[in-house]
Amino acid sequence: MFWKMIKGSFFIRRRAHLLTALTVALGVSLAAALLGVMFDIGDKVNKELKSYGANLNAVPKGASVIGALYELGDIGQSEMAIKNNYILEDELYKIKMIFWAYNIVDFAPYLTVKVKAEGFPTSLIGSWFNKSLDLPTGEKVVTGMDNLKSWWVLEGERVDERDIRGILVGRELANKLNLKLGSTIKVTPEVIIEGEGNQSSEPEVLTVRGIFESGGDEDDTIFASLILAQKIASKPGLVERVEISALTTPDNELARRAAQNPGSLSRLEWDTWYCTAYISSIAYQIEEILPSVRVKPILKVAQSEGAILEKTELLIILLTVLTLGCASLAISNLVTANIMERSVEIGLLKALGATNISVSVLFLAETLLAALAGGVLGYVVGLALSQLVGLTVFGSYIAVKPLVIPLALLMVIFVTLLGSLPALKALTSLKPAEVLHGR
Amino acid sequence: MLSNRKFALKMCFFSLVRRRSRLLIALIGASIGASVLLGLVTLCYDIPKQLSREFRSYGANMVFVSKQVAQRLTRGEAEKILALLPPSRLVGLTPLRYETVRSNMLPYTAVGLDFEEIKKTSPFWHLTGSYPNKGGQLLIGVDVSEATSLAPGQSMTLTGRNSKNERYEKDFTVSGVVSTGGVEDGFIFISLADMELATKEAGAIDILEASLTADGGPLEEIKNKVENSLDTVEVKMVTRVTRSEKTVIAKLTFLVYIVSAVVLSLSTICVSTTMMTVVLERRGEIGLKKALGAESKSVAGEFLLEGLLLGLIGGFFGALGGLGFAALVSKSVFGRSFTPEFHLVPATMLVMAIVAVIASMIPVKRAVNAEPALALRGE
Repeated sequence: MFWKMIKGSFFIRRRAHLLTALTVALGVSLAAALLGVMFDIGDKVNKELKSYGANLNAVPKGASVIGALYELGDIGQSEMAIKNNYILEDELYKIKMIFWAYNIVDFAPYLTVKVKAEGFPTSLIGSWFNKSLDLPTGEKVVTGMDNLKSWWVLEGERVDERDIRGILVGRELANKLNLKLGSTIKVTPEVIIEGEGNQSSEPEVLTVRGIFESGGDEDDTIFASLILAQKIASKPGLVERVEISALTTPDNELARRAAQNPGSLSRLEWDTWYCTAYISSIAYQIEEILPSVRVKPILKVAQSEGAILEKTELLIILLTVLTLGCASLAISNLVTANIMERSVEIGLLKALGATNISVSVLFLAETLLAALAGGVLGYVVGLALSQLVGLTVFGSYIAVKPLVIPLALLMVIFVTLLGSLPALKALTSLKPAEVLHGR
Repeated sequence: MLSNRKFALKMCFFSLVRRRSRLLIALIGASIGASVLLGLVTLCYDIPKQLSREFRSYGANMVFVSKQVAQRLTRGEAEKILALLPPSRLVGLTPLRYETVRSNMLPYTAVGLDFEEIKKTSPFWHLTGSYPNKGGQLLIGVDVSEATSLAPGQSMTLTGRNSKNERYEKDFTVSGVVSTGGVEDGFIFISLADMELATKEAGAIDILEASLTADGGPLEEIKNKVENSLDTVEVKMVTRVTRSEKTVIAKLTFLVYIVSAVVLSLSTICVSTTMMTVVLERRGEIGLKKALGAESKSVAGEFLLEGLLLGLIGGFFGALGGLGFAALVSKSVFGRSFTPEFHLVPATMLVMAIVAVIASMIPVKRAVNAEPALALRGE
């Protein structure tokens, strides 16, 4: 009987139910879209903020204390000293093998050599432009400074990794030496190092592929391939610094304590910290896998990232809550209107002996069914909507989180029940005689 | 005509008073709609500015140096630059002077600056200890601290030679250790006044760095203004900061706009459904009025007038709520107070009234066109 009545009601009052379903669909689609965006906004904004460049700087343990400060010469260094002052290029692939490997967006090693370009003293910085690495896991990774220096204004083309003699020249240096795209320059080391295995007394002839403007000190330097820099400096296989760009979670109290001293954490706290992509835990994990390296967060980038991420997330959460509130109010009004329209029917049911509870259950079941149908439709539309937002705003798809489905379902039920409450109250206080009489 | 209008107002008034609970729901609906509307419009207007302030934590976005090679800026030039920068956009302006000094025979780079201003232009500095608050105190980078094992509270003597090749020496107390992960980790920071006192050379500045809440066009304008007025000064934009900021802020603002549009449309629908309910409930009344000989037009007019009043009243309260909401968001998200734009209140009331009237129109039309007899019978 119950189901028969519901079926009948759906057949007879198609319009009213359709309206309820549509309102729910609208509310749910918007809420689902916003929830989807909300869950992914952190990653998306994080990727946008990567345009500020690397947020971690890896230096050899020895160098971070003395190297840069005293500008010690390299002459006559023991193997141990080399190990202390440089990082081995062959070990760098390990950075992509830490626990949070997926969060490492890009990294690039640097080796600076003091050189004379056409007799003019300057620095030549060797790096990876777009190096492809084969990981032991069988994965292939392309990384390098092309993505790390996205704010550079480049005239000409980017240098291909295999093009060993192709270089990028800073705008100021190019003006000083009167260099154009395609011109060639002769580069010699500033100090010719005496010793065996040094064949670089011959000047290197390099071709200018691009001229860049960075707005910083780099504008006065040359960027070349790492292999070339190592050859000029006679430091095969060595780099002096690695810039790493990682997606991170904003710091909280735990991360701040851990950054001071990871040893001060309890076992449980340590696990939480290690398994969260805090900048300090990523730095720690890289130090674990490359023991001779010290990794320092570049606070300028890291801290700003955290602050901006937190603010955007908070803003979107507030707006999502607002949407949910509006949706439930709209649904509530519709349900009330539905019950009012059918007051005569309710009066008749009550006059025939139906209890308040059974009438309420009947109405709730009807509304919930319509709402669920609307909710499913709304979820699908919401999914499409969130992708639209992702594509228009960030130019990439929003990750579909399965968590949104139960959340949307809960929301439909909650909102419909809450919205029906005033209507149910009106329903129970309805007097059969009055409505049947037509008042 | 006069009595007619009086009658209409009277009807409206009694209908509003008699049906308090429905009226309350409609009013709440209109208020919430208005709150959301005004709150979001205010936020959309405010958010780019607020975000721009947030991005200032990336540090200076414009630097000034002397145009002549190997020449320093003078204090007079610095003051002229300060006068040219718009005060509303200026977050901080730090003069920097670099000198090579020695301590225990080892060379260091010492930076003379204004500690009050550097807090504003470089808020990302992580400090152990405190900023110097009087002369004779200095900050050291974390790498310097590790190499020399100096800690806050200990003393450090700096020696050097000024441009006239006269030797100077001055004792300092370390008040804090700076770490930034950048070149600053290897520097020593003293106040510009101390540096001028020690070197006996005053008035010179190597770099003046400014942090301005502006991106793209406005920043370019400021740059041109300074370059045109002072021909000895070269203005450089920190491309890394300005270019990234432009793209990121544009995207974030766009996102907030889209989301706001979504919420706004939903709140409008919400107000509409409320008005529909209110009118629908009173089909009997409409039928009765028509049966008593009222014209369709005047009945509809009465209902629309009611909608208008509801919209205006709800809009007014909602607008106040909306300003409160915007203030709350501004405070909780960005931690800053904001100045409410009261001239938006009448505009919100007007929009809400229009929405309410349009929303009432559909059900009123349906009710007015129905046969009075049918409506009175309750079908």
